[in-house]
Amino acid sequence: MNRREVLLAGAAMSLASTSLASTRAFAQAGAEIPIGVIWPLSGPSAQIGVDAKHALETAAEIVNGSFDIDVPTAKNAGLAGLGNAKIKLIFADHQGDPQKGRAEAERLITQDKVVALVGAFHSSVSATVSASCERYAIPYLAADSSSPSLHRRNLKFFFRAAAHDEIFSQGMFDFLDAQKKAGKKIETIGLFYEDTIFGTDSSNVQRKLAQDRGYKVVADIKYRSNSPSLTSEVQQIKSADPDVLMPSSYTTDSILLMKTMDELGYKPKNLVAQAAGFADKATFDAVGDKLTGLISRASFSIDMAAKRPSVAKVNEMFKARANRDLNDNTSRQLTSILVLADAIDRAKSTDGEKIRAALAATDTPGEKTIMPWKRIKFGEDGQNVDADPVLIQYIGGKFVTVYPENVAVAAAKWPMNG
Amino acid sequence: MTTQAFLQVLASGILIGLIYALIAVGLSLIFGLMDVVNFAHGEFLMLAMYAMFGLVFVTAIDPVLLMPIVVGVMFVVGVAAYAGVIRFAMRAKANPGMVQIFATFGLALVIQGLAQYFFTPDYRNIGNSWLGGKTLNLGGVYLPWPQIYGGVISLLAFGGLYLLITRTDFGKALEATREDQGAVALVGIDRNRVFALGWGLGAALVGLSGAVLAVFYYIYPQVGGPFALIAYVTVALGGFGSIFGALVAGLIVGVVEALTALILPPALKSVGVYSLYLAVLFVRPSGLFGRL
Repeated sequence: MNRREVLLAGAAMSLASTSLASTRAFAQAGAEIPIGVIWPLSGPSAQIGVDAKHALETAAEIVNGSFDIDVPTAKNAGLAGLGNAKIKLIFADHQGDPQKGRAEAERLITQDKVVALVGAFHSSVSATVSASCERYAIPYLAADSSSPSLHRRNLKFFFRAAAHDEIFSQGMFDFLDAQKKAGKKIETIGLFYEDTIFGTDSSNVQRKLAQDRGYKVVADIKYRSNSPSLTSEVQQIKSADPDVLMPSSYTTDSILLMKTMDELGYKPKNLVAQAAGFADKATFDAVGDKLTGLISRASFSIDMAAKRPSVAKVNEMFKARANRDLNDNTSRQLTSILVLADAIDRAKSTDGEKIRAALAATDTPGEKTIMPWKRIKFGEDGQNVDADPVLIQYIGGKFVTVYPENVAVAAAKWPMNG
Repeated sequence: MTTQAFLQVLASGILIGLIYALIAVGLSLIFGLMDVVNFAHGEFLMLAMYAMFGLVFVTAIDPVLLMPIVVGVMFVVGVAAYAGVIRFAMRAKANPGMVQIFATFGLALVIQGLAQYFFTPDYRNIGNSWLGGKTLNLGGVYLPWPQIYGGVISLLAFGGLYLLITRTDFGKALEATREDQGAVALVGIDRNRVFALGWGLGAALVGLSGAVLAVFYYIYPQVGGPFALIAYVTVALGGFGSIFGALVAGLIVGVVEALTALILPPALKSVGVYSLYLAVLFVRPSGLFGRL
């Protein structure tokens, strides 16, 4: 073999290997199922999106790999129903803006040909994105948007496995009733909520529940989100001094609210929060010392890991990526991908209508999830009615489940500042 | 509503107003000097807050002592922004106003993107400091020490700025350049140097407010946005380029905002400020103390 032949052979081999590699890559790409995921990856709530990215990627890892975890689609690699096809998450950023969310959703559907969409943290964004999905007949899973109005719009392609704020707020008032029965003084309530769909919907439910169950709303404060100062707002809370303060706030405002209350020398008697900012690690890093005794609604509690091994395993996988434990938001985000992957698996198809039918037929017992829910079974409106919430209390630098009694690890400290 | 609650809101409005004024004056200064609206003003504020956070994190020295370093850093940032971006934007032959707007806006996007990449979007917070969390109780009216400190620094900065502009050669060069950019070259003033120092001074002032704000406010890449928006209204209300105007307008904005939130639903608290601004615009388009 002379030098020329060696060169030629080498060239031929490299050609052959590249073409081989490219066909393999193509085969893989062909078998990947694109799923659109839309979260605030930049803007004021970017940290939520960054955490969500870790949670969603952990879920994709569970679906695509083979793990001994008792959740749907974990055991075998990829989706068995589609020849072990792998799912591929395509990320889009809505910055907390409903209009950007709509534009990004259309792009994901028309250009990236996603088979379903999952989102979006902000309820206002879930509202526009789910409307776009409806138009293109593609399922939308609201992972962590909790406004009750979302599933009341007769959308055929809307699904939500997690609880909405009505279920959450009912849980809170059940808890208040139980405390009252036990002889604690709870007469007045203060509502403090941000001015987008999340805060207003949440407050509407709470206002109604308070009336129905005989609590007096002494402060009803709708504030501007991301305000540089909350002094006047806090002054009004302070003047009213309710027995329970119920904030519905995102992270920035949660931090500022706690700081401002502290500056104005006000300690709320009790805080029962609609999660969001009050479930975000950043809030506890910043003002955790002022939050001892805070009670928040949650879809998740890490102390459940003691009873259910899958929770610990999934949390470990998440922690390896995100360097923090799963929380109320990230657990719901992670679960949403598992629910969707399970449905696609059963649908044995990437057709929107077929996935929708499979989602509608979902019936997963609670033990096969990482959530405290009874089961996942969607109603006509796409809402899972068995998503029981829990209440968790921030004590000694971590959260413990305090309600309902059957899952409670400890009794609630009430009043929190007393 | 009790008198005490009213006094509380008024006092808080004045304190935050002094900080609004300090944030706005740098913007006003740069505009007055060279007719450029710096749309990266909020990002300068954010950089200053991160600078303070980083310094406290690394050195564990109290923010009060680190303040001059942050101001120095921001002075350099301001000069660099002028030398690296604005200088070129001002050379545009056609439509220089637009070019300048887009140049500073682009600068803002770049700074914000880099901040999100390098600092991550997580919320930061300076935990322990001498003043942090301490409050002065004046007969039921609570004044947080970090904000009192901020107010005092703001007043001192305005005093210093007044002296700098009226009593020093640099101040005279600044005033002269503002009056007539062409003529100053004839008397031996280097226009470019004055502009660069003007940007440095403007950035140093917003750096000072960032250093003060970092003691009691959370820090994240978009933190500058809401403050910058208020700064633009403040500058427009006080009069573009007017330093005294920025001080008065800052106080007005702070107080009006706080009182609006007390009377109307707090979600509408910007309404008071913007209505006032519109009223001023109708009656006196150049702003309260403007010389346009």
